[in-house]
Order: sequence, then structure tokens, then C-alpha cells
Amino acid sequence: MDLFAFFEKWIWLGFAAVGFAMLFNVPKRTLITIFILGAIGGAVKLLTIQYEGNIVIGSFFGAVVVGFLSVWVAHIKHAPPFVFAIPAVIPMVPGAFSYKMMLGIIKLTSNTDETLFIKILNDTISNGLKAFFILLLLAVGVSAPMILTRRESAKDIKVKLQLTHEKSIKK
Amino acid sequence: MNKHDTKELSQFLLETGALLMSSGANTNRIRITTLRIANAYGHSAELLIMHRALMLTLNSENDDNFYSSIKKTLPHGANFRIVSGISKLSWQIAEEKLALNKAVEELNRLQGLPHYPRILILIFVALAGASFCRLFGGGPIEMSVAFTATFIGLFVRQEAIKKKFNSYLCVFFGAFTSSLIAGLTVKLNIGDHPDLAFATSVLYLIPGIPLINSLTDLLDGNIMNGIVRGVNGLILAFAIALGLLGAIIIYNIG
Repeated sequence: MDLFAFFEKWIWLGFAAVGFAMLFNVPKRTLITIFILGAIGGAVKLLTIQYEGNIVIGSFFGAVVVGFLSVWVAHIKHAPPFVFAIPAVIPMVPGAFSYKMMLGIIKLTSNTDETLFIKILNDTISNGLKAFFILLLLAVGVSAPMILTRRESAKDIKVKLQLTHEKSIKK
Repeated sequence: MNKHDTKELSQFLLETGALLMSSGANTNRIRITTLRIANAYGHSAELLIMHRALMLTLNSENDDNFYSSIKKTLPHGANFRIVSGISKLSWQIAEEKLALNKAVEELNRLQGLPHYPRILILIFVALAGASFCRLFGGGPIEMSVAFTATFIGLFVRQEAIKKKFNSYLCVFFGAFTSSLIAGLTVKLNIGDHPDLAFATSVLYLIPGIPLINSLTDLLDGNIMNGIVRGVNGLILAFAIALGLLGAIIIYNIG
């Protein structure tokens, strides 16, 4: 793969995440982190697709990476992990698939030609299923740290960095 | 704690929960945060969380009185500054024993926190639209089309929200405007892949938070809320599709 093209994509992935973050009115101090998380998550997804994975698995890996990193940065930046994780995975939300599915459903209502009907039906179901499974795996991926550690709050997940930080305060 | 305090506490808890619900937190987070605050003030609480209303029952630990009340939630609109602030506030209450009147003051302050300047939001969201276009493989021309379409579409949507239109209608207006602008380049065949700009010009409208929260709620076992949020997300996607369809029919493309 062309390395320059790959790293150029990081910039666009980051901006896509930051655009949504601004729309969701995240605190200012989290913007740069969201840019980086969005870029890393998107890059993992693109890499997975590059190496024979499909878009569903790729989105899952991306979301898992974002989920774990968000818990880590939450301790540093003092904001709940999902403030970082949600804007970072929003660019991976299957927006195009879901509105294409809806568009397909609308087209089906006005179609009477049988072969064309089956073709549109195929596309609609394929788009809808992809949208559903990507969403499901994004949700699983983002909450993976919580599910795996069986904690209710990210504050209970002790991160090494935070412990050393606490010690330095006590001194 | 006397009766008056219990009433004040329940109002504070409901206010917190309702704010979290309308700012885009998932059901589990609302329950955990609210109960954390209730426990910190020496009460046990039970919470019924619905999309449009919250119901709370408070029980003080040292007597047998119960206090119940219901509060409707505000119109939904993601605001992570409030969610982040409330999370911090709940920990301050739990760990530093912040007094209730101080906590109420802090909550009011959080509600008054400003949004980003409107022009900045418009530019960055439009930039996100252009980024999507680039990621799908568009060139500079398609990117600038996506930028313009997103910018004007979001502006129209914001104006529609200000005029208090139905929220699905606001999304429809946004999608219709954006796809009219991007569709024009498809009709006139400007650039190499005008269809890419057309497909990415409405991506800023996708109901990301309702859909992700829907699935997290389903995974957490809050099936009802998950279904409600999911249906909401689907209707929003339907509104986007209708907007696109309008442009497709007008220009006779696609």
C-alpha cells in the first residue's frame, strides 16, 4: 500500500471525527484526542479491509481499539470514556448503508417489474444487514473494556498511569 | 434529612437524569450516575427510565417514607459537555461530599455552558463532509461540492430547529437541501465522480448517537429503550432517504 496515501487518510479520518465532535458539543480539551482516536480507529478499519477482512470485522476492530484507548485517555483528560469513543466511532457508523436501505424500501413500493424488484430487494437487504451488524459490533467494540473487566464505571479500571499520578500527588 | 430535603434531592436527581437523557447518554449511564448521587446523599433510589420521561422513587435510609415523582425529558440533542460535566459532578458528590445546594448551582452552570460558535460548527462539519468524500475516493472538485452542500444543508437544518419544526422534518429539510446542491453537479456532470459528492453530502445527518445508544442499550438489557432509540434512528434515516429521493426525482438522476 502507498504509505503516503495511507497517512493522508488519517487526516481526513480525524477531521471527520472532529466535525461530529463539534456537532455534539464536546469539551474543548478533548478535541485533539478525538482527532487522534478517530484517525487510529479508522486506520485500523482500513487496514483490516486491506488485508482480506470485510467492512463488518474492520469496523469491529476499529471500535475495539478506540474503546480501549478511550478508557486510557479518560484517566488523563478527566472526562468519561464515551465522550472520546462515540465521536471517534461515528465516522464508522454505516450511514450510507442505512439510508441506501431506506431508499431501497421506498423504491420497492413503486416498482412492479419483477426482475428489477428482486435486484432492488437484494441490495436493500444486503445494505440493511450490513448496517445492522456494523452498528452492533461498533456498540460491542466501544463497550468492550467495560464488558471484559466487568466494571460499572471506567473510574474503577485502574490504569498504571493514573496510579503513578496519584502517588506523585500524595508525595 | 427532612421531607423538604428529600423533595429537593429528588428534583435534583430527576433534573440530572433528564439532562443526561436529552444530551445523548445511554440508559445504563443515566441509571449509574443518578443512583451514585442518591447513595452519596444517604438515600436508596429506584429509577424507571423512558425516552420521554423519568420516574424516581426515593427512600431515606433512616425512615419508612417514600417519595416519588416523574419528570419529562427535554427535546433530544447531543451535548457531551453536559454529560462530561455531570459525570464529574457525580464523582465530586460521591467522593468529596459536595453539599446539595452547591451541586444544584453546578448543574445550573453546566446547563448555561456555551456551544461552539455557529460558524465554527458549520465549517468543521462541512470539513467532515469533505473528508468523507475524500475517503470514498473523491477529488478536490467533489470535496468542495460536499463541503458546500454540507455547509448549506446544516445551516438550513439549524434554522429549521430554531423555528421549532418537527425534528424529523428538520432532518428532511437538511437532506433535501444538501442533495439538491450536490445533485446539481451530478445533473451537469461536473468533476470525475459527482455521484460520490451526492452520496456523502448527507452523511452529517446520520443519527449516529441514537443508533449506537440503541445497540448499547440492547446489549445492556434495556431492551425497551434500545427499541425506542432504534426506531427513532430508523425514522431519521427514512427522513434522509426522503430528502435524497426528492432531489433524485427533481433532477431525474440515480
